[in-house]
Order: sequence, then structure tokens, then C-alpha cells
Amino acid sequence: MFEFLNQPEVIKTIVTLGAMSLFFVGLFGLLTRKHIVKVFISIAIMESAIFLLFIGLSFNREKVAPIIDATQTQVATMNDPIPQAMILTAIVIGMAVLALGVSFAIEYYKLTGKTEIDTMNEMRF
Amino acid sequence: MSSTLFIALPLLFGFATPLLSRLGKNALAYTSVLMQLSLLGLALSLLLAHSSTTVELISIAAPLGISFVLSTASLLMVLLFTLLMTLFSLYYLFQRRANAYANESKFFTLLNMLLAASIGLVLSSDIFNIYVFFEIAGISAYILSAYSKTALALESGLKYLLTGAVASIFLLFAIVLIYLHVGSLNLAVIAEQFQLLPYNVKLLISLLLLIGFGFKVEVFPLNFWVTDVYQGSTSLVNALFSGIVVKAYLFVFFHILYLFLPQGEFTLFLLYLGGVSMLVAEVAGLRQTNLKRLFAYSSLGQVALIFVAFAMQNIQAVQAAFFIVIAHSLAKFMLFLALASLEKTEQNMHIDRLKQIDSPFLMVMMFLAMLSLLGIPLFVGFVGKFLLLKSLAVEGMLTLLVMVVVASFIEAIYYFKLMGYMLHKGTRSEKVEVSLGEKMIFVSLGLSLLLLGVFPMSIAGFLQNAAEVLLDQTAYITLLVGG
Repeated sequence: MFEFLNQPEVIKTIVTLGAMSLFFVGLFGLLTRKHIVKVFISIAIMESAIFLLFIGLSFNREKVAPIIDATQTQVATMNDPIPQAMILTAIVIGMAVLALGVSFAIEYYKLTGKTEIDTMNEMRF
Repeated sequence: MSSTLFIALPLLFGFATPLLSRLGKNALAYTSVLMQLSLLGLALSLLLAHSSTTVELISIAAPLGISFVLSTASLLMVLLFTLLMTLFSLYYLFQRRANAYANESKFFTLLNMLLAASIGLVLSSDIFNIYVFFEIAGISAYILSAYSKTALALESGLKYLLTGAVASIFLLFAIVLIYLHVGSLNLAVIAEQFQLLPYNVKLLISLLLLIGFGFKVEVFPLNFWVTDVYQGSTSLVNALFSGIVVKAYLFVFFHILYLFLPQGEFTLFLLYLGGVSMLVAEVAGLRQTNLKRLFAYSSLGQVALIFVAFAMQNIQAVQAAFFIVIAHSLAKFMLFLALASLEKTEQNMHIDRLKQIDSPFLMVMMFLAMLSLLGIPLFVGFVGKFLLLKSLAVEGMLTLLVMVVVASFIEAIYYFKLMGYMLHKGTRSEKVEVSLGEKMIFVSLGLSLLLLGVFPMSIAGFLQNAAEVLLDQTAYITLLVGG
């Protein structure tokens, strides 16, 4: 009954709509939440949306994993490995930045007891 | 082999710090300076060899592999960055005995990572590599900003990190769209095929790139974080931010823009965006009473001026932009290092304290830097501003010309106020000691401002060549992927 979902166009539409709605959920959180950890979570959601979009759109169900061995020698029937390599790198970088950010937030909380971003105003001017 | 060294050596040094720090208390500081001096020597020898643009492959040939492109334009930036970083390390070495950073080995790792990433941004010809260097430079800068772990420093680090993370998401989004539509990450291949894309896709990618880089090149609505970060970080680190990091981002943004972003309306939009950023920054700078914050606003104004010059997209204006880049980097470096020397006793100086300080040497040096920033004749800042105004007049962009002149006048108001404070007659109670080594660095920076201002022709040809290379899209494509 749901075979039509296997068509590439349908899959791509679902991936695009899903990833974009996730992106805007993250953007909404980034703009409206005040708690620093929630802001970091919103950023992580936006990042994941882009990872999903890229992998979802560049992956083809008909093609095989890009590994050349005795049985698989045709490059044309393989999936493009570059998007996956790129996203792996981006995930690592995003993770590192988030960890650094959370560690800053913890140190800051220990010193001042503040967690809301609109109360972070040590600067007087 | 040579251009890879600029990135490989500082990175290698970063990873070797745990080993080097075991060799003795001072081993790390001296090897860091030595390494940067050798990079500076390498850059100078490349300058003297005066070869044409070279492409350095990392593994396989152009469309698939990764390569670094060392042209006159990128060599100029590499030279500037290595020179400033060497001077920075020497300065740190001279004042290190009195007030060293805690956990010095981390500090040296971060410095060299920052240098490697800034040079990588300038040399890279692969858009995903640019993203990676964008992040490395960002992460080192966040940590340097929060280094002292006071509430102020952590707050500035957090603000820097939040804006940087958002910027990198938009940049990554743009790169993903580019790869999905063009199927390559190589700048030359993208440049070839970008014009064939549908208008809406081009517009979306341009906007995403503008938002991603806009945070980093400190353009008007996206620069709200800059002054807070400058105020929370130490003056020493601010010298790096305004001297090296911003310049690297500016260069790579316009490098990408010249290669494949749409021209015409979009360029006009960028020009006025730069003009508005400049006016807003200078007007906001008028009522600042904290010295670091004041210099941060002046940095924003000058960076917007460079933005306008680059956005003009003709050889004379880009040459002017390079002049302003050099002038601003040298002068702001001087001002922030002077501030670091003054701040040995107290962080976050109020401008009134300039009346109290008794150090004629530092006052003279700050005076020189301010005169150059204002664009007074005989200083290199004048050459840049003059060339920019001339090319604006030639192009008939009178509104922008008026904006630049008005912004310069507003900048003059607060710098003259500071100069008045420095010349203030009265008892001066705070004596500031400056060691001979520090003096030598200030004098060499000040002399270069003066010498380049008196003899601008000595570098004008080189800068014009750099501008031609940066603007020449077809030569870049032929170089990387063939005709």
C-alpha cells in the first residue's frame, strides 16, 4: 500500500520537507529560548537538519556502497562517498564546538550562577 | 612543497607542544618564535623569488584533489600574518617574565593553530577545506578569548562561540547546496558552473554565504557581538583578532565573491551594506568610555572601510583595500600592544586614565598609530583612504564617497578626544615601565607605518599585481582545471 513511498522523488521530497522543518524548529529555538543549554541544543538541531538534508538528498537507494572489491568494480553504480566524508567531518567539528561551549557555560555558571543569556551582562557601557 | 609548510609547520608545532614543553621551561616559547621566524623567512624568500602563481597539490590533480594556491595576493596576506604573528610572539617573549599566561603550552598551541588556520583560509582552493579552517580559526579564537576564565572572559568566549556556531551552520548549508547543484567542492569548478544555475538557487546560496561570512567579517547587522568580545578578551589577544583573524575572513569572503557570486545588484547591495556598517560603528564609537571597546568600534569602522573597498571590484579599489588592510593591521596591532603594556596594572581601562599615565614613549607610539588610522598624510593609512576616495570619485559613487568622508570625520572626533587626553597637562602619577625589547617592536611597527606612508610606491606595484590576480577569475580557473 505504501510502495509509492519508495520512489526517489517522494523520498527526496520527504527528506527536504523534514530537514527544513527541523532546521526551522532549531532556528525558532535559537531565537526564542533564553537558557544557554537550550540555545546550544537549538544549534545542534539546526546542524543535524543540514546533515540529514545532505545525506538524504545525495543517497540513492538503487546504488551500492562505494567499496571496490572482487565483485564490485563499477564506479557508476556506487553512491557518492564525498557527502558522507564531509558530514562525518562536520559532525566531529560540531560536536567539538558544542562541548567547548558547554564547558564555557559550566565555568561561567560556577562563577556567576547565571544560565539565562539575557542576564549575561558583565560589560558595563 | 613550500606553501604547504605555512600550514603544516604551525599545526605540527601545535601537536608537538606536549613533547617540547618537557625540554625545559623556555623551550616552547623559543621554538615557537624560531618556527615563526623561519616561516617569515620563507615568505620573504618567496616574495623575492617573485615567481608567478603556483598551485600545490596535496594528493591528486585539481578537480578531485585538494590544492593550495599561492598567488601574489595570497602571498601578501601570508606575509602579513607571519610578520604580525612573529612580532606578537617576540612581544610576548619580552614581557613574559613579568606576566606570563597560565598554562603557557596551551597558549602557544592556540596561537599556532590560529596562524595555521588563517593561512589555510587564504591559501585553500577547496570550499570544504575553507569550512574546516574557518572552524579551526574559530575554535582557537573562542578559547583565546575566554582564556583567563574570569566571568568577563567566559562571557565574551560564550558570545563569540554562539555567533561562530551559527555562522558555521549557514556556511555549511551554503556548501551543501553548492555540492548538490554543482557536484564539486573545488572553487574553480564551482566558478565555472555557478553562472549556469537557476537564479533562485544562486540567490539562496549567495544569501547563505553572506550570512555565514557576515558574522565573521563583522558587517553591520551581524556585528553585535564584536565589541563585547573585544572588551572581555585581553588586549594582547585583541591584537590578533583585529590584525590577523578578521583580515583572513575578509580576504577569503571576497576571494569567493570574485570567483563565483553574482555581480551587479548584489555588489551594489554589499557596497551600501559596508557604508552603513561604517557609519553605525563610528557613531556608536563616539560615546564609549572604555578604551578596548572604543578601539573595537574603530576596528569595526575600518573593517567596513576595507569591505567597501573590496566590494568595489576594480583594480584601483582593491589595491586601496590592500593598503588599508596593511595600515589597519599594523596600527591596530600597535594600539592593542600599547594597551597591553599599559594594562599590566589594571584591566579594562577607562579613557580618563590616559591623563594619569606617565610614559612618553607609549604615548608617542599610540599617537603615531592613531594618526595613521585617521589617514593623515605621511602615514600609510592616508595612502589607502586617498586611493579609495579617488576610485569612488572615478566611478561616480558620490553617496558612498560622502559616507566614507563623514565616517572619517566622526572617527577623527573621538581619536582627537583621546589625543587631547594624552596631551593633558597635569600631574601624572602612574609610571609605566616598557622594556627595551618591547620598545623595539613598537618602533619597528611605527617606522613601517611611516616608511610605507612616505614611499608608498615601493609596494604599490606589488599590491596592484595582487589586486589584478585576486580579481582575475578566468586565470584562476585555467590554473586549476585547465582551459
